[in-house]
Amino acid sequence: MSSEKSLQKIRALVIDDEELARKLVREYLAAHEEIEIVAECTNGFEAVKAITELQPDLIFLDVQMPKLNGFEVLELVEPRPAVIFTTAYDEYALRAFAVHAVDYLLKPFSAERFAEALQHAQNLLGREPVAPFTELATAARGSNSPLERILIRVGTEVRVIPVGKIDYFEAQDDYVAIKALGQTHLKSVALAELERNLDARRFVRIHRSYLVNLERIAKIELYAKDSRRVVLNDGTQLPVSRAGYSRLQALI
Amino acid sequence: MHPILAHRAKLALYLAAWLALALLLAALTMLAGNLSGREAFVFVVPLMLLYAFVCLSTWYLCRAFAVERSGLVQLFSVHVLAALSSAGLWLFLGKMWAETLARFPWFNGLNARFPQNVALLAGAAILLFWLMTVVHYLFIAFENTRNIEKSLLQLQLLAREAELQNLKAQIHPHFLFNSLHSLSALTTIDAIAAREMCLRLSEFLRKSLAMKADTRIPLAEELKLLENYLAIERVRFGMRLQVEKHVDAETERCLVPALLLQPLMENAVNHGIAHLLEGGVIVLDAQKRAERLEIVLTNSCDPDRPPSRGEGMGLQNVSKRLATLYGSNAAIVWEDLAEYFHVKMVLPCGHV
Repeated sequence: MSSEKSLQKIRALVIDDEELARKLVREYLAAHEEIEIVAECTNGFEAVKAITELQPDLIFLDVQMPKLNGFEVLELVEPRPAVIFTTAYDEYALRAFAVHAVDYLLKPFSAERFAEALQHAQNLLGREPVAPFTELATAARGSNSPLERILIRVGTEVRVIPVGKIDYFEAQDDYVAIKALGQTHLKSVALAELERNLDARRFVRIHRSYLVNLERIAKIELYAKDSRRVVLNDGTQLPVSRAGYSRLQALI
Repeated sequence: MHPILAHRAKLALYLAAWLALALLLAALTMLAGNLSGREAFVFVVPLMLLYAFVCLSTWYLCRAFAVERSGLVQLFSVHVLAALSSAGLWLFLGKMWAETLARFPWFNGLNARFPQNVALLAGAAILLFWLMTVVHYLFIAFENTRNIEKSLLQLQLLAREAELQNLKAQIHPHFLFNSLHSLSALTTIDAIAAREMCLRLSEFLRKSLAMKADTRIPLAEELKLLENYLAIERVRFGMRLQVEKHVDAETERCLVPALLLQPLMENAVNHGIAHLLEGGVIVLDAQKRAERLEIVLTNSCDPDRPPSRGEGMGLQNVSKRLATLYGSNAAIVWEDLAEYFHVKMVLPCGHV
């Protein structure tokens, strides 16, 4: 390691809902001067806020936490720091791999194993692997079950929207506008990615730009020759493409 | 439906036996001297085959009046009455049959000679009816033993399964590993607390490992086990985990299946408290009402918590276990009230 680099400490964040677990990481880190703990977080919301505000280089991340799990936290932050997972659950190891985690520490872990993970992190730091949304979202909820909630970050605030409350999604340039409970939320994701991850029996791509909650559709009407549109329960009208219409027919 | 009627092969065998009886009775009527061989055969055999079906009805009687549940007088009068009425019905049909046959030249005067055969036919009818009653009782007794054996086996199987599942639940690897991780942290922070936790964990493991699925322990003991578990979880969750207990003194001696409350408490912690930023409270109520033990467990929870796969499992297991041990004498219901999760359980309070 060059002397220049050792001057600049690695800024780390410890995220765990259990106090003793956080204390242990702090204790193990005491032996590593090159690492500086910039904050500790006790839940997913705090973690998103802290990562966004403090932009740490490295995070120690528990998986099972209140409000947001570790994977959901990762989905919401940009740019993403290097991640070392710390958890008692071995079943998340594959998912951690899928989101390019630096290492995966199974509780309880020794100081030696911890040092090894740190070494990995130091080697990898600076190279920033970015996992796409699909991989993150899949990792967050487990393999084959459809997406149950949509997570949105506004500044440092996190909103959790259960998919059942969503009326429809509308593609807008690099964003998707999410219409739910009379409000519009923006999320930086491709509509096709959402479509792939949502339950195909509940959300239908009726148009290149619209993905609609089937339960919200009040009627489908013909408004011009060969042109159809759906009317939602709240009166909103959305265009239906030819392909969208055949997808709708298949489901109704 | 009658088991014989439900199987073609059994029915054929049954009718073959009756055919033999029919031939025998035909021979008897012939020997009695007032019917020719042809008359006896054509008259008696169809009538007997018909009676074979009438006698199947005794199965319903035997089931309705089980030997072990009915008085001797009741049994006697029921079966005498049944035999008399079915024999009467049969004789009436016999008379009609004789009248019908008498219209054909071969059977001239058969109807006139019918009364002379009534005594023999009536005697045979009553005796055969009773014979069938006895056969049915034996059959039912045999079936019962078989069913009992089967359900015993099933019960043993369920008990094994519950035992295994309980063990797995107790030594829930995540619970254990998380606790050991906390312990590892505690050793340098607070050695005495670490030792305390070691002891709690050992006691909890030793006690739960010793329990079998059919072990029943006083509620007070079950609560002590829970206390050990909660003490360990409190080390992890700190102030986030609050527990209130309202246990009536008279419930403490009630016998409950060992580790019955354990999975429910685990649910309350893992699916309730663990998802709350500020933590929450678990309230345990135990009351005795009319020889029944009523336990209510309520925990605060996050209405927006992500759906979890394991959530219903513990409850289903407890429900199955209660059904196996108490049948319809115990019940468990639960309700998700968004901010609270509510489990209520009623079971007989057996004493030591």
